[in-house]
Amino acid sequence: MKRIEQPYHAAAAHGGLCLADHENISGAGQVDELCSASLQASTMSDATVMLAAIGAGDSKAAEQLLVLVYDELRRLAASKLSREAPGQTLQPTALVHEAWLRLVGDKTPAFNDREHIFRASAEAMRRILIDRARRKHTQRHGGEYHRVDFEGFDLAAPAADDQLLAVNEALDKFAIEHPIQAELVKLRYFAGLTNEEVSQVLGISVSTAKNYWTFARAWLLNEIQSQ
Amino acid sequence: MKGDTDRELVVFTEALKVPIPERAGYLELVCAGDENLRHKVEALLKAHDRLGRFLEEPPPGTSME
Repeated sequence: MKRIEQPYHAAAAHGGLCLADHENISGAGQVDELCSASLQASTMSDATVMLAAIGAGDSKAAEQLLVLVYDELRRLAASKLSREAPGQTLQPTALVHEAWLRLVGDKTPAFNDREHIFRASAEAMRRILIDRARRKHTQRHGGEYHRVDFEGFDLAAPAADDQLLAVNEALDKFAIEHPIQAELVKLRYFAGLTNEEVSQVLGISVSTAKNYWTFARAWLLNEIQSQ
Repeated sequence: MKGDTDRELVVFTEALKVPIPERAGYLELVCAGDENLRHKVEALLKAHDRLGRFLEEPPPGTSME
């Protein structure tokens, strides 16, 4: 349980984004290589404990699970990007499923656990992608270089990063008025889930999921363009 | 507030099913003097016409399998 008490994440505790330019994602991968097996055993039991706590109505447990999933996804992303050729892109769906296996194992999860894990994964993926887009934005605009990022993200056009940041900002507003639909955007857009998977996680029909998705896209585009 | 925001979703979703020439009349009827709601939904319908592939591609730096 100790790992989740790391100070990341004052920002995460408030449900906000991590603004601090803390350790580089690619640095985290090496730690992973060294002690992957023991970490896996402990994170797996941590996740199981937290899922049980969420099930029992512990409101802090969801945030703790999020931090755990965030750390796991970040480590996975870092080791993928450091092992493969430059220019490699992340595959959120594959990452989320791999994180899932590492956190919970391959037993068939209870429905509610599945929902919690996917929600946490989608929020964690969002934070990872937004953190990097922010870092690149800062660097382009004369910010400090803490270190040269060794990563596969540099091929993405700056305009695409800026649009990602704009979407994210609009999504925060959207979530205030339409929390379920905002959740759906995170699952679909940031975690790469299909309409079918999203409908299972949120417990809605596929046609409702499609309606929500159309509404969310229109809402977000309208918000971004009316700025 | 929750009711209002749900109405935005419901009216927008229903309006999309109405043929374009009849939409203004539909909104008039269903919004029943709620100008705020009508303006919101009209703006969403306009945004819907320009959606293209918005958010249909994965975020920068990522890809689907």
